[in-house]
This record gives sequence, C-alpha cells and structure tokens, in this order.
Amino acid sequence: MSLGDVEITLASHALIARLTGEIDMSNAEEIGATVIGATPNEASGVVLDLSGVDYLDSAGIYVVYGIRASLQARGQNLILVIPPESPVHDTLRLSGTGRPGETTETVDEALRAIDGPSPAHG
Amino acid sequence: MTTWSSEGQPAPRLGTGQIALLPAESIEEASDQVRSSYRFSDPALSELPLEQLLDELLNRVQEALEVDTVAILLYDEEANQLVARAAKGIEEEVERGVRLPLGQGFAGRIAGERVAIFIADVDHADILNPILREKGIRSLLGIPLIVEGSLIGVLHVGSLTPRTFGQADLSVLQMAAARAGPAIERASLFAALEHEHRVSAALQRSLLPKRLVEVVGVEVAARYLPAREEVGGDWYDVMELPRGQVGVVIGDVVGHGIAAAALMGRLRTALHAYAIEGHGPGRTLELVDRFVQSISEPAMATAAYAVFDTYSSKVCYATAGHLPPIVISATGATALDITPAPPLGAFPYGRCPEHELTLGTDEMLFLYTDGLVERRGIPLNQGIDALTDALTGSPSPEAACVRAMAELVPDEGLQDDAAIVALQNSPVPAELHLRLPAQPKTLAHVRRVLRRWLAHHGADESDVAEVTIAVSEACANAIEHAYSPAPASFELDASCRNREITVAIRDEGRWRPPRGSNRGRGLSIMVAAMDDVQIDRTDTGTQVVMRRHLKPQ
Repeated sequence: MSLGDVEITLASHALIARLTGEIDMSNAEEIGATVIGATPNEASGVVLDLSGVDYLDSAGIYVVYGIRASLQARGQNLILVIPPESPVHDTLRLSGTGRPGETTETVDEALRAIDGPSPAHG
Repeated sequence: MTTWSSEGQPAPRLGTGQIALLPAESIEEASDQVRSSYRFSDPALSELPLEQLLDELLNRVQEALEVDTVAILLYDEEANQLVARAAKGIEEEVERGVRLPLGQGFAGRIAGERVAIFIADVDHADILNPILREKGIRSLLGIPLIVEGSLIGVLHVGSLTPRTFGQADLSVLQMAAARAGPAIERASLFAALEHEHRVSAALQRSLLPKRLVEVVGVEVAARYLPAREEVGGDWYDVMELPRGQVGVVIGDVVGHGIAAAALMGRLRTALHAYAIEGHGPGRTLELVDRFVQSISEPAMATAAYAVFDTYSSKVCYATAGHLPPIVISATGATALDITPAPPLGAFPYGRCPEHELTLGTDEMLFLYTDGLVERRGIPLNQGIDALTDALTGSPSPEAACVRAMAELVPDEGLQDDAAIVALQNSPVPAELHLRLPAQPKTLAHVRRVLRRWLAHHGADESDVAEVTIAVSEACANAIEHAYSPAPASFELDASCRNREITVAIRDEGRWRPPRGSNRGRGLSIMVAAMDDVQIDRTDTGTQVVMRRHLKPQ
C-alpha cells in the first residue's frame, strides 16, 4: 500500500493535482516535485485538490508553500481545494499559519477561480 | 534444554579415509562412530534420487541412534518457516504439510539460532508442532542443516521414552546432516519443474502472497494446502488498506490443474486491485464477478472478502457462493449464519450484499475453502462442525491454522486443495514502548499504532487526530536529528493515567533549531495540539515529553 499518491489531470487552462492518502516527510517533497514538474508553462495555474488527503503534516504544508513559490516565479496561480470536513484544516489550524494560498471547497470552484473571475475573459 | 553452538563444536566433516573423533568419548563410542561414518558415507547413497536418499538416511539415523522418530524440515526462505520434508515415525508431519515459524519452539529455535538443541524431558509448552505432542515424545535432539553457511533446514530425532542424548549421538546426527545437506541443496536446484503437478504447484506458490501484513492490533496467519494428486485454484490474500484497515480474502476457482491455478492468479490480482482502490467487500466481489463474466473461457469461482477496521474492531464482509466464515471467540467457534450471494461468474449482474460484525479483543475471523471440510459421502455440515470443534479454544491465528490442519487433514492428504486464513483482533497494550528506525517511512507506522492505541484509551476523533499529528511531528524531528549515515533509531513511550496521556520521544541526535520560516511549524503544531510540551536537549540526545487530557467520555 502506498502511503500517499498524486493524480495529475490537465484541464483547459489549469493542471489539477489530486493528492490522496497521507502526506508526511516521507513523500511530501516527491509529491511537490511531481506537481511542479507536470505543470506546463502555458497553464494559468494549478488546482491542488486536497479533498482526498487523510493526513497532512508540517512537511506537507512546507511543500504546499514551496509549490506556491515555484508557481509565483512563473506567474502562475495556486488554488487549494479543502472541503470543510477535511483533516487538513486541523493541521493548518494547529500550525497557526493560516492558509498557504487561495482556498475553495470544490474543484469546480477552483477551476473557475483560475480561469479568472473577470467575465471580460470570455 | 541444552544447546550446543555450531561454532563451539565443529561438525565432523569426513574426507577420504578420515574419521573425526570428538574429545572425551570412550573407545566404544568411537567405534560406534566408525560404524556410523560408514553408514553415511556409503557411496551407494550417491546414486539415489533425493526422495530415496532422504528415506535411506532417515532409516540409517533411526537404526544408528535407536530412536522412535526422525524428521527433516526444510527452510522456506520466503515464508521464513520450516516445512516438513521427510519423516520416520511421524510421517503425518509431511502429509499435513506442517509449517513452523523460525525462532520459536524446538525446531524453530534450532533453525533461528543455528544451534543443536537437546531436550531431555519435553515440556509440551516448548513444542509448537502438534504432531510431536500427539505422539507423546519425551526426549528430542536436533541440529541445523547448514550448507556453505546457509541454513537449509533442521534434522531432529525423538524418543518416546526419556533418554539422554550425548556428544556421540550428536556426532552421528551431524554426519547424517553433512550427507543430507548438499544432496538436498543439489536436488532442489533441479527438482522444481518435473511434471504438471510440480509446475502448477510452483505457479500456485508464486501466485500466493509471500508475506502477510504486519499491523499493530491484528494477527494474521494463512495456509495453502495442495491436494495429493493435483493443484487447484484456491487462494488467500491479506492486504493492508488505508485508514487502519486490513482486508482478508479467500477464494476457490472451480476446476483443477494449471488452468485453474492461472485463473486463480488473475482473480486474486483483480480482487486485490479493486480492494486497494477502496471498494468495500460487496462492491469488490461484484466487480470481480463482472471481470469473470468478461473472460472468454467459461469460468466460475467462489470467494469471501472481509475488511477489519482496527479502530472500530468492526468487520465488514461479503461472500459469493462461498462457505460461511467462522468466528472464534472465548466461548467457542461458530459458522456465521448468512446466505451467500451467487458465485462469481454465475449470473450476469449479480448483487453481493455486505454484512457486519464486531470482533471482540482476541476474537478471530476464520476463512477457509471447501477442500478443508468436504469429504466424500459426508454431509458438508458435518465437515464444518468438525472444523468449528477443532478451532474452539485456539489462542492465535497460527494455532487456529495448525489445529485446522491437524484435525481436518487426513493422514493420506487432501483430495482437493484447501486454503485458510485467520485474522485476530489482538489486544492493544496498555502502554507503548517502541524502538523505531529513524527513517521517514516509520512515521506512517507510528501513526497507525498510535491511532489504535488512543482509540483503545477512549480518545475521540479530534483527540486522536491532534495527538497523532503532534507525535508524528515530534518523531519527524527525531528522524531529522539522526543525520549520521549509520542506521539510527529513536524511542517512543506512551502511557495513559486518569485520561491524561503522556508521550515521550527520545533520540540520540542533537536538537536542531528550526531553519527558515516554515521549518518551525512542527514545533508550533506540537505546542498547539498538546496541553504541555517539554523539550530536554543534552549532548547525548533530545527528549520530548508531551501531555494532553483526553475529553471526558
């Protein structure tokens, strides 16, 4: 059984990375590198879907910050998907650092946020 | 119990014209040894195929030492078990496919510690092998079989009357071992693939899991028993699932031979794949049923799949045309009264309902195939009753497997192959004292152990989540401190008094101050999640002691 996993899908303007299982110091960096490596330059941003995550520790938060910094350097956005009942909220609350990026409850909302709120776009 | 180290007393290795004599032996004994050496260096032995060679060697050992029983067990490296290979006086041992764990019991210790062991008066608590107990063996002497430094098995002799085995007896046994060892080794290189039975037996073995999972709070044991004549399509599987769950599977493909064994491999893989995707037992069996329907050749199988949740102690299970699982509790063993769904591949779009039960501490779930209980001319119910009788009082899954084989497998072997798997809800220790390797992958293990331990002490979901993350963070620090290239470890102790839990994590590394704005978060999490966090750094290591009151129940 693998502890945690990442599933990458490409939507029209964004990359969706769905993390599942447990993310800790044993796999966090590798998952972060996978997400950054898979993100095409032309994508507007990345949706990091944490709805399937059962456990996330400080190494996981660190990597989320790392992903955000890498994307920022390339002018890309990061939107996190964290449903209300997710255990990720426990980690964020306990670590007292707030949210490491813009957060939505569903992937659809996140995709809309990445494609740009401005109707002038379409 | 007396042990002789194999280093301390070198085995007499007989070259041409050489006879090794051990010191302090009388002339009579020495001349006995001369006779024994001829017995085992007889060139005629070299011409015998392995089966007959072992048979002849055992006869000669029995004759030379005037013992009631002689047995050779071979070491199965993959399973880390000893398997009965040849025997005199206790032939049932081979027929029943006795398997013994390394390190425990008489033969297990000989193999595990590589020492000769003599037991003058057998205390049956020391003996794991039920056949030795049934026979009423009083004295035992056994030695490890070692070829070029590798353990290949155990050779032991037994007496039904109390008897003292001495150095001379040991030497005779060592001579026989020196002869048998290389022959077994040589033969095993060629023996594998002689005819269909062997091919499919090898295939069957390769398709079954090599190692069972290790999850705290769960004990598992399993067996596959080939039929006398032909292999079949029975299988078992054990898998670790996310969120502290363990899945156990038993299955039986209709038919025999290579085709059945190959189909078994496909079904085991399909079921395993659906199960680790997170489908429950009912849905998993439904998906395997669709898979069987999609196979071009006609195929049918029965199976049972159960998922045990280590946090809630609940078992969710479903069966497709399979015999009822048995629950073993302190009061007895009972076959569950359920109606199975149709067999896999029987009807298009069959539905497979799920059932639920709770396993109390020490209780077991026992799954088996019909090969174990079906006898020509005897109603199936009688076979199942005989099995529940045999299982009653089994203290562990290993014991349940051993008892089922001892009572249900006839001396002449099984007509049909059989598989069994037993899972026990084993007790959670009151306190944890763990020594753990300082490696990142240890963290997941720590969390699994801790979650179950916390749930056992009545912690609710948020207590469990918050304490688990704090402890995992402290362990992550201990692992980070261990930056020497040598293998390092750390210790974790946990106790609970009056609903206050105390967890101590000790490492032998130097405390490293957090680096960068993100690295300090582990410590913030520990402080926020626990009532009290004490960090004690010294030159020899760091100790973190954390306390937290659990919410009232």
